[in-house]
Amino acid sequence: MLEIIFLIPFVTGAAAFFLPRAIGRTLLVLTGAIHLLFSLFVWVSQPAARFPEYFAIAPEGLLSLLVISLLFFLISIYTIGYLKASAVQRENIFTGSMLLFLSTMTMVTLSDHIMVMWIAIEATTLASAPLIYTHRSASALEATWKYVLICSVGIAMALLGSVLVTVAMDVGHVEAQVSFTALTGIAGQLDPGWLKAGFVFILVGYGTKMGLAPMHTWLPDAHSEAPSPASALLSGVLLNCAYLGIFKTNAIMHAAGLDGFSGPILIIFGLLSIMAAATFILKQTEYKRMLAYSSIENMGIIAFGTGIGGTAAYGAMICLIHHSLIKSSLFLTSGNILLGFGSRLIEKTGSLATRMPKTFVAFFGGFAAISGFPPFGLFIGEVLIIIAAFRSGNVVVTAVFILSLCVIFAGLANNVMRISFSPADSNTPIKDQTSLVWPQYALLLTSVALCFWMPETLQQTIVHAVKAIGGGF
Amino acid sequence: MINPIDTILSLALLSILFSFGSSRLPSLIKVLAFQGIVVCIVPLFIGHAMSGGNLAFVIATLTIRGIVIPGCIYLAIKKVAIAREVEPIVGYHASIFCGLLLIVGATMASRHFDIAYSSLSDLLLPTAIALLGAGMFLLMARRNAIAMVLGYMMMENGIYLVGTTFSIRARHIVEFGILLDILAGVMIMAVILQNMKQTFDDVDTARLRTLKE
Repeated sequence: MLEIIFLIPFVTGAAAFFLPRAIGRTLLVLTGAIHLLFSLFVWVSQPAARFPEYFAIAPEGLLSLLVISLLFFLISIYTIGYLKASAVQRENIFTGSMLLFLSTMTMVTLSDHIMVMWIAIEATTLASAPLIYTHRSASALEATWKYVLICSVGIAMALLGSVLVTVAMDVGHVEAQVSFTALTGIAGQLDPGWLKAGFVFILVGYGTKMGLAPMHTWLPDAHSEAPSPASALLSGVLLNCAYLGIFKTNAIMHAAGLDGFSGPILIIFGLLSIMAAATFILKQTEYKRMLAYSSIENMGIIAFGTGIGGTAAYGAMICLIHHSLIKSSLFLTSGNILLGFGSRLIEKTGSLATRMPKTFVAFFGGFAAISGFPPFGLFIGEVLIIIAAFRSGNVVVTAVFILSLCVIFAGLANNVMRISFSPADSNTPIKDQTSLVWPQYALLLTSVALCFWMPETLQQTIVHAVKAIGGGF
Repeated sequence: MINPIDTILSLALLSILFSFGSSRLPSLIKVLAFQGIVVCIVPLFIGHAMSGGNLAFVIATLTIRGIVIPGCIYLAIKKVAIAREVEPIVGYHASIFCGLLLIVGATMASRHFDIAYSSLSDLLLPTAIALLGAGMFLLMARRNAIAMVLGYMMMENGIYLVGTTFSIRARHIVEFGILLDILAGVMIMAVILQNMKQTFDDVDTARLRTLKE
């Protein structure tokens, strides 16, 4: 019964809407813990699905599942402290939506049927919209409106793309299940014209959700307006879920021998995203928006790596895992800064190093990690992508890629230094709770640990996953 | 003899032009309701074997698309006294002209595709493409939040036409998917609109322009 893993948070989430806040908080952490245990169980024993037509264990799904589970557990612990420290109206809606969000994202990782995948990704939008609106301000409302509208249009495109893939089956006179596994098996018989059209629409649709430029406009608003635990989930795992849809479709394209078509498109979208992030990150005045643009950059890097293929696809997978760990840690830390300074504006902050030393360590560590410094994992991922990109002969594209990374690093460093060291209005230390920093330390340490010691099963799963899109060494 | 499907689809094409020309929300909602009904009855004439289940699905979608959702939106704008103007960014006459261009463009574009049912009707693919484009146009060229939702619904009508007529397999799943989508999307949007009304005292999305780059 594989499906239990997303049914549990669904049930507890629905229940949390009607329960008092203390029980809701306990339920949040408890469900996170059960979910983590269950996903470890799924890793070890790989149970069969009750409905094998619709749900199946795929290596890329397993990776995302573990990341989601670990992140949600740590974020849920952080959330308790955050909720105590900040005033959130209608807290039961917040906790309930968090759990439903977990349920829908888990469903994305396990879905194998092309339409179930679509429904699950659509459901993530619906479950996360109330999270963005938590603070009930005019700007939160605007961000939610933008998020729902832009993502709905995007998801409509993805639906059209999914339908076009089934048209490709009809035109090619293929008889098979409409599942990713079956489609990858018989990809060669599909009509290439309709398959290409389907891929483009799916890429645009799920790319909207993933935050690829130029469809990224909802992302900075949503991520900056949502409360920090929700931003951490949005950035850390929701974007991965949308990427899974693109990844699986790309696997069909690869099996059909059409990577010559899908690769360049992914490279272009990836490069556009990195360049968009580079342009906007330089003049950011809010630190949460800055982090949101950094997410757009990282999604661009992942799309770029997937498009290049080969070793770069492996690098993209590494980037995907480490980005989740690091970015969610950074968003949680930004929540501490917001609690301490009471403003999202960079100019209202300062002297973080002396005023909130514990938060500062998490923040600066996260900054070093997201910029791709060794020993953090993004370093390995980015180096692999750059090497593979040079080897594939795309010299100009790679040069633009590296240049944009440098610009983004400059923009980030400028703002981070300002927040950390520039003199502030006052120098009184701000209360720095230990319970609000150790989840971030845990996330960063996991990222470091994975660089020095990658468990054999994890390594094999990554290799197995990228093999489907022609990746590997 | 004129094909009944073509007659129905030409009504859908006309509804695009009407929607582009309507300046008030109530008339736009009526056009959308009409369009929803028209699009929903197309599968009845397409020649798939119609089982009882399929028929029930067509009736259910027709009720939701043509009656329930437009009705709800209509009641909502009456109740909360939302501005009735659609507040165009592109003027009405220019919009209608754009609509004509869109239909011509869709017809030309559809010649490049080869589909299983092109022998059944000449208008099927052009209408679907035109509906998609028209929905996008309304989304971008109207400032009123409800008009944008209606544009989104028009896009979904186009996708529904593609999903239910072109592909024999996965029809039900497409139908289910769209129903879920529309129902949930509209519900959430309605809640948001309700709150937007309270917060801004208006649903003009031009006021939602503080968060921009």
